[in-house]
Amino acid sequence: MTLASSPSRTPTGPQPGDLYVQKHVDYIKNLDSRRDELEYWLTEHLRLNGVYWGLTALHLLGHPGALPRDKTIDFILSCQQDNGGFAAAPGHDAHMLYTVSAVQILVTLDAVDELEKPGRGGKHKLGSFIAGLQDKETGTFMGDEWGERDTRFLYGALNALSLLGLLDLVDVPKAVSYIQKCENFDGAYGIRPGAESHAGQVFTCVGALAIAGRLDLVNRDRLGGWLSERQLENGGLNGRPEKLADSCYSWWVGASLAMIDRLHWVDSDRLAAFILKCQVSPFDTIPTLGTTNAVQDPEGGGFGDRPDNMADVFHTVFSVAGLSLLKFDGVLEVDPV
Amino acid sequence: MEPEKKGKYASSPEWSNITPIPLNDGSDSGAQPLATIAYAPEYLEATSYLRAVMADNEMSERALALTEDIIKMNPAHYTVWNYRAKILFALEKDLLDELDWLNGVSLKYLKNYQIWYSPSIYTIPSTNGERHHRQVLISSRQHFPTLPTGEPAFLMSMFEQDSKNYHVWTYRHWLVRHFRLWDSPQELSDVESLLDSDVRNNSAWNHRFMLKFGPRDDEPAGLPNSTTLPPEQKGRLDVVDEEVVDAELDYAKGKIVLAPQNRSPWAYARGVLRAAGRGVGEWLSFVSQFVGAEAESVKSTHALEWLVDVYLEDSEHEKKEEAVRLLNLLKERYDPIRKNYWDYRIRMVEGVV
Repeated sequence: MTLASSPSRTPTGPQPGDLYVQKHVDYIKNLDSRRDELEYWLTEHLRLNGVYWGLTALHLLGHPGALPRDKTIDFILSCQQDNGGFAAAPGHDAHMLYTVSAVQILVTLDAVDELEKPGRGGKHKLGSFIAGLQDKETGTFMGDEWGERDTRFLYGALNALSLLGLLDLVDVPKAVSYIQKCENFDGAYGIRPGAESHAGQVFTCVGALAIAGRLDLVNRDRLGGWLSERQLENGGLNGRPEKLADSCYSWWVGASLAMIDRLHWVDSDRLAAFILKCQVSPFDTIPTLGTTNAVQDPEGGGFGDRPDNMADVFHTVFSVAGLSLLKFDGVLEVDPV
Repeated sequence: MEPEKKGKYASSPEWSNITPIPLNDGSDSGAQPLATIAYAPEYLEATSYLRAVMADNEMSERALALTEDIIKMNPAHYTVWNYRAKILFALEKDLLDELDWLNGVSLKYLKNYQIWYSPSIYTIPSTNGERHHRQVLISSRQHFPTLPTGEPAFLMSMFEQDSKNYHVWTYRHWLVRHFRLWDSPQELSDVESLLDSDVRNNSAWNHRFMLKFGPRDDEPAGLPNSTTLPPEQKGRLDVVDEEVVDAELDYAKGKIVLAPQNRSPWAYARGVLRAAGRGVGEWLSFVSQFVGAEAESVKSTHALEWLVDVYLEDSEHEKKEEAVRLLNLLKERYDPIRKNYWDYRIRMVEGVV
């Protein structure tokens, strides 16, 4: 996900039903001050991703400077390991997921050159780490030396390498053939060959095919039909049949549809209305009872997975990105790949 | 940040020869890092000993116990799982004992995730330490030449808590391939019992398709001929067992009657017909019962769409005008949220696209 064009304008003064841009910016800026919360340190394994999600949301909301650039770069570089890859947090093992996030952050901050500084090994070392994780037999990618295979890793690898201009380090045709094997009887894609179709995996598979220039392999009408069926009566999108809507699928489903030119197959007004309802709004000051979490932040800001749930940075970025796809006022336009 | 009191490792004679390595979070470079993490002192101490033994690649009982301690505090710590697997193999531990222990961790982890966290946190993708650990162990042919007997029961207890857990299903699929269990009666009966308790379990439908029609050669794939046929035709079997096909179509029919708007068995039936190279037309009378004579008693939009496809399938069934009429019903009355999709299909019929 990278920015596609220049900002549109920002709406004035929050009203119910609006996008609360400033609240979301504050929410993301303050994430790091919530260190006393149990969830914060238990999600250490997501830390680098969290920075990427927060940063991307801020860029889309037109506040790219809200996180300090230098400190962000310092943190990212502190996660780099000797093998050129990046870990979720300092002291962990390098892993594909975090390496991809690191590349995306460095590209977003126009700081890829930092890799060329002494001791970092340059972007080629990083690219070699990624390329080394390709399974030469099947063409897919592993997350780390332990070999968990997942189309998320495959998409991430192609995404990061294409951002670095290093796609020639890997066997792209083989990766493409692997993605074809992930297609299912319903026309959508799963996490591995034979695994149930899942909108998040559709995104990674279609995204990888787009990067590889092989969208001709997609049966667009069939896949588009499956993706458009993800929209439920409440306007939101689910990730699999017979599951509840979740704001993050606004991005996974929406971007996949956009890549095959069928975004208009979902009702964008109703989708936008659903996403806005997932905002933890400044007007909700009462804790939501009956959910597993007792207290909502009365300050508001951020998006949850569905209306009345707690906010988190993951659902915040993909809600904002979903609004961006829908060309919602106040959000910058995004490149669906 | 040093723990204020001496922790259990620092005060243990067993660990006295180890110099813990504190966390380097970048703060020694002078700048306040962006994402420092506040840890519980016990966790911080344990991980500082972990870094020390990992740096020495120590393969020992105490290191194994340390990994368990850390996993109990934070099962999402993916590095510790990798290290634990290495130790288990190096010390030639009984992997069945490990699986027993792991069953408890997995069930507790799943439960705790549901209790402690908001559902939104639960949906955040991450690495799957404990499930992957399981796969690393069981993929050792030397230790597990055949399926460990307790495995299906363990998976069913995971499904009792979340019958659509994506990663558990993906793991089960891996097991089927690894131990070649496509025709195992246990696999099919588990799938059927899950569908009996929830006919809308799309994961179980997918597993059933994989058991019945999934490619069984060395190259796994979701569909027969997924790379050899063009997008419109892939999914077609080279050799068709018509008895299996008929039985599966009957099974799907039985489940559709229970909940006609449930998308999964409809998609399943389409996949079965495609695999067999048979058309949708043979279901004309079956689907008509969910639509009514003049499409006035529609019980299922899927049946309506199926009827459209029958009318467009071949010259024997062709009724273009009726197809357009039904598509308009879908667009305006039964599924208006997908208005643009139905419009597209109407334009296809009219030859505009």
